[in-house]
Amino acid sequence: MTLIDFPAPPASADALAPSATESVCPVCLATVPAERCVEGDAIVLVKTCPDHGSFSAPVWRGLASHRAWSAASVAAARPRAVATPVERGCPHDCGLCADHRQQSCCVLLEVTSRCDLACPVCYAAVGQGGRDLSLAEIDARLDTLVAAGGQVHVQLSGGEPTIRDDLPEIVRRIRARGFDFVQINSNGVRLACDPDYLRDLVAAGLDCVFLQFDGVDDGVHRALRGARLMRLKARAIAACGEAGVGVVLVPTVVPGVNDGQIGAIVDFAIAHMPTVRAVHFQPVAHFGRCRGEPATAARITLPEIVEALVAHAGGALRFEDFRAGSAENPFCSFSGRFRVDDAGRLAPRPGMRAACCGTPAPAVTTSCCGGAADDGSVRASPDVARARRAVAGQWTLPPAAAEGPRDGFDAVLVDRARTLGLSGMAFQDAWTLDLERLRSCHVHVVADGGRLIPFCAYNLTATDGRSLYRSPAEAGA
Amino acid sequence: MTPTAPEGGAETAGLICAACDRPLVVGRVRASYLGQSFPVDLPRCPGCGFVYVSEDLAGGKMLAVEQALEDK
Repeated sequence: MTLIDFPAPPASADALAPSATESVCPVCLATVPAERCVEGDAIVLVKTCPDHGSFSAPVWRGLASHRAWSAASVAAARPRAVATPVERGCPHDCGLCADHRQQSCCVLLEVTSRCDLACPVCYAAVGQGGRDLSLAEIDARLDTLVAAGGQVHVQLSGGEPTIRDDLPEIVRRIRARGFDFVQINSNGVRLACDPDYLRDLVAAGLDCVFLQFDGVDDGVHRALRGARLMRLKARAIAACGEAGVGVVLVPTVVPGVNDGQIGAIVDFAIAHMPTVRAVHFQPVAHFGRCRGEPATAARITLPEIVEALVAHAGGALRFEDFRAGSAENPFCSFSGRFRVDDAGRLAPRPGMRAACCGTPAPAVTTSCCGGAADDGSVRASPDVARARRAVAGQWTLPPAAAEGPRDGFDAVLVDRARTLGLSGMAFQDAWTLDLERLRSCHVHVVADGGRLIPFCAYNLTATDGRSLYRSPAEAGA
Repeated sequence: MTPTAPEGGAETAGLICAACDRPLVVGRVRASYLGQSFPVDLPRCPGCGFVYVSEDLAGGKMLAVEQALEDK
């Protein structure tokens, strides 16, 4: 475990000098050189397209935490299967290509492009039109995952996956192939209203519901999802508790809309434990229906969310109780797991807080490459395996306290009911895309043609709505 | 996860220490992982202290405990 205690940022340091990377032009999506520059207390990605001019966007606000995150190890491993040749360069060869630097951890399978909402913010730009993948197409994509080798978490997404009556059968097919963690990415509408369907999903092997949850009042839901959904969300969570499946609340954080509710969302999560296992914040990215060059003020970055969490905890948490992603690029995420006491107060788990005065924490072990197994295949990344285990351990519903005698193991497991995960992931859009980060991506979409495409590349959308990888047929009408 | 320091114990049925040829007895063991330790009762050899962890326990409850304690 790594806990980072960081001092005030230096007045000048090499780490704050402009550093070179690559990005894309938001207009034509051509690969262009880019620089990470300091502007005030922020890191800004700056780039120029010879045809369409210059662009800049903030990617990290807070130089002190940027310095700490820069010290985190960057895990890297060769993909276990290479499906596409390197021809045009990143991000135009995804499949994965041989230049990708991390294996799959969580893989999204978009089972439909239909949805029962028409959210103003939708990365897939879906609606009531669209189509379902056939079961044969789903089998083919699952076979792609099996052929790629290795265990991954499978996230069923869309569109709204619960619009399909045969979703339990899809879960069974995933389980039958040996994948040990299945989650659905859902707005919760059907889960709230159809308990038999939810029970069927759980019986089929569903482990977790990734529940779109943007705020604690209908004003937020109307602004981002076009509907009053608050009561429905609460019903969906209660139904998940009754069905025995854990829930992760997933807010898309939009400045001026719901960034003022970050603390209230945490309070809501605590009030709905143990069914709610975690809150996973996602700063808004400008994909799909949410496109067009955003104003700087329309951006919120990961450290701002951590700061809001720390402020809400009223001194119980410190910034350094959160850590950078250890299997993906550090700047793509933060995470922490906290104990909740009887009064609903958060605290670091016992033994998990770094000592004061910057006492070094144990380093995270990272692999420099996938390495070759005896049979010549690429070994599974231990970093990705650790991340999968930690996620599964936190996001599944813990067992109820057992009757009768309990040993030390039982006590730890029962105590999971009092542990809440707080994490965030920053998706990259055409303005913020840093190809160095993209190459380390471990969240992939399984697409047709046996391809695995990093999530941000799959959703990348130009100013005119053009996508590199998502076909128009897969978007809703 | 590392089980250590067995103490006390009642006899188990059918488990023999291959090194000492003595029947294992259930005793209090402290298992530790990531700086935390927990008391559990496991079969162990009264002679050499060998602790027996069944495959079911290692791949079941013990694995679940490790997951509960690991960070991402």
